[in-house]
Amino acid sequence: MNDTPNNVPILEGRHLKKTYKLGRASVPVLLDASLEIQQGEWMTILGSSGSGKSTVLHLLGGLDRPDEGGGEVLFRGESVWARSNRQINQFRNHEVGFVFQFYHLLPELSVLENTILPAMIGRLGGSTTDSRARGIALLEQFGLGHRLAHRPRELSGGERQRAAIARALINRPSILLADEPTGNLDEETGSGILDVIGQLHKDGLTVVLVTHNMEIASRGECCVHLRHGQIEHPATMA
Amino acid sequence: MYQTLLTTRYLTSRVIPLIAVAAVALCVALVIVVVSVMSGFLNMVQSSGRTLMGDVIITYGISGIPHYDDLITYFENDPNVHAATPIVDGWGLLRMPYPDSEAKQSETVQVWGIEPTSFAKVTSFDESLQWKTPTDNQRNWLLLDAITSNQENLRENLNDEQWNELVIVVNSASNTMNFESVSLWTDLQELLDESQWKLLLQYDERLHNPNALFQQGLSLSQNGKEGIVSGLHVSEGNERQKDGTYQVIRNDYWWLPRFDGTLTMLPVDAQGGVIEPESIIMPFVNEFQSGVFMIDESRVFVPINVSQRLLHLDTAEIVDVDDPSIIVGIDPARATSILIRGIKGIGADDLQVRIANMYDSFLAGLPNDTLVFPPTRGDPGLTIHTWEEQQRRFTGPVEKERELMRTLFSIVYLVVAALILSIFWSIVFEKTRDIGILRSIGASRGSIVWIFLQYSLVIGIVGSGLGLFIGWFITKNINTIHDAMGNPPLGIAIVAFVLATCIAIYTAIKSRSGQMLPIVLGSLGIITCSGIGALILFIRHIGGLVIWDASVYYFSVIPNQVDWPSSLVTVCGAILFCLLGAVIPAAKAADTDPVKALRHE
Repeated sequence: MNDTPNNVPILEGRHLKKTYKLGRASVPVLLDASLEIQQGEWMTILGSSGSGKSTVLHLLGGLDRPDEGGGEVLFRGESVWARSNRQINQFRNHEVGFVFQFYHLLPELSVLENTILPAMIGRLGGSTTDSRARGIALLEQFGLGHRLAHRPRELSGGERQRAAIARALINRPSILLADEPTGNLDEETGSGILDVIGQLHKDGLTVVLVTHNMEIASRGECCVHLRHGQIEHPATMA
Repeated sequence: MYQTLLTTRYLTSRVIPLIAVAAVALCVALVIVVVSVMSGFLNMVQSSGRTLMGDVIITYGISGIPHYDDLITYFENDPNVHAATPIVDGWGLLRMPYPDSEAKQSETVQVWGIEPTSFAKVTSFDESLQWKTPTDNQRNWLLLDAITSNQENLRENLNDEQWNELVIVVNSASNTMNFESVSLWTDLQELLDESQWKLLLQYDERLHNPNALFQQGLSLSQNGKEGIVSGLHVSEGNERQKDGTYQVIRNDYWWLPRFDGTLTMLPVDAQGGVIEPESIIMPFVNEFQSGVFMIDESRVFVPINVSQRLLHLDTAEIVDVDDPSIIVGIDPARATSILIRGIKGIGADDLQVRIANMYDSFLAGLPNDTLVFPPTRGDPGLTIHTWEEQQRRFTGPVEKERELMRTLFSIVYLVVAALILSIFWSIVFEKTRDIGILRSIGASRGSIVWIFLQYSLVIGIVGSGLGLFIGWFITKNINTIHDAMGNPPLGIAIVAFVLATCIAIYTAIKSRSGQMLPIVLGSLGIITCSGIGALILFIRHIGGLVIWDASVYYFSVIPNQVDWPSSLVTVCGAILFCLLGAVIPAAKAADTDPVKALRHE
């Protein structure tokens, strides 16, 4: 995790616009969304279903591109989308860790293989043995030490999400982007996942979490509301 | 590295790659078997042609080439010529020994008059002779024939008791025609004393010298008498067995070397008119099998002087036109063809040019007072062909057929490509979310393409390797398979029906759960197994299925040599088409928008 110069947000979205095309119809999702995430901050993006929360997260994580002339995403002050394809791949692999609502683990791979997959793709952190050791350590840290060789389908929802978090952390990313990480879990399990994320944040990890749940939103330090395609900061929130 | 891991997992955790491998393997095997059989067929036509006629053939129709013996000597002086041999060929009528009644069957045959010694040097005549030594059964028949035709002489040398006993043994043997139940040879050996037994064996050389049968075939003579060697399929007494061997019907009764045949030929005069037919009775001394059905069913070999005599191509006196009592010269014997074999290493085309030049120089070197000259090369009736040119009417169509088959079966490659394309399309569709996940954790487009290309490469290599093995196995055993189809074992039908019953019981038990898949799979299994069983019973009922009919395809066996160059091209082609079939879906996969891919249901 690189340090960011003072006052420069680690991740910033400026005037983001995103329109989806559904057949002939154009559906504008983001009209003018701006937000800044500081190093070590836990920011929650709160919004109702279909408000564009996931879209913001995808734009910030370099998974999706804003509309032509529709703003920009800056990582440590540098535009993400001005980079080459190779650099964007590296950005997704090295700097960002994604956690999805539906876990998105590869069903053919074991839990350990899923966890170390980003390290294998990025070839970071030395040998495969090192990656495996770190993967095992992370999984043990999340209480999955006995599940290393299991396939995702053999795990419970909470275990799958913890495995997904381990995968997101394998390359020691600068920022964790969590898209409704508890949306598919019961309250107790969800709370356990949020505890894990909370612990990671305490250890210094920058977290951006999107949710529609006020209670979950209250876990973060900073909460912004996405409404009508725009980010409403606390000062502007009704 | 992670691409290999994913490829391996994708390959081993789904049924669909197995289906793709099976499809590729079957397509490759199909092409290999078809092309190998066609190529083998062509090679057999070509090689049999060369085996039967040497490298270069000089032919001069009906009136023949005079001074052929000098010409052959002249050719053989050339270091590039291994040997040359004259042929006098024509068509004739061969009266066969069968049936038992007075009216015998006659066959139209192509008669080749040959000089056996030189003919064996140019062709593989000796290897083609069918009978090396008589079998026990054939020896018993020869013994029976020897007794029958030497009764009087034998009677004089036997006492009454011996004679009566001999008559009983011989009658018993000839009535039953079964030398397994009546051991004629052993019984007579016990009955007669040593000198009488030796006397009996002396009646036929083949009885005391088993090799005489082969030698008589090689020399076309028997006891100083000219003999016939006929193609194995000329006699209707020879029946090909399912294992490729031959059996003479009626327990070797109609074994041709027991009998004489009458050969009749029609000589033609210089004006093309037919002269009185000429006939000769000769013993059959052996039979030959060239492997080319068309030759084996119609050709007979006789000594060259016999065919010259029958066709009036032998030495004759030339008389004065005005006074036929005055002999003005000798018209030398003629040969209608000369077969020439070159030494090892010389091509037929090169030899053809040399022979043509030598032919010209031979003609130029003949003395001026020569009465009868061989035809010049300007004579349209004279041809100097290579064996390939001579066989062109057989090989030409086969070559075309092979190319046609190659072209048609190349479409199979397209089928492979289309198959792989559709399989990969469905795989990519199924793996869309995986692709989104991989892209979200930093996988590049190139690496996604490589995952699916590796996948197709493995399917291509494994599938075509398996296809190569299956193709090789089928080609090698094609005659056995064909014979099995001709008379499929009843055991397979029984096993198929038992299997169908077992599947039916298993399906009935499984169907209680109400699930459809076991019912569908079980029904397919029942239909397949009982269908195989019913097909076998049907084939047996109609007396077997003969696809390869020797009378249609020239050869008595199906070629079973794998055409390796074509096979390797097929394997490489299949792998290439697998890659081509996968590259479009792979590129589509790589270009999938990660966000859309993640939302893929």
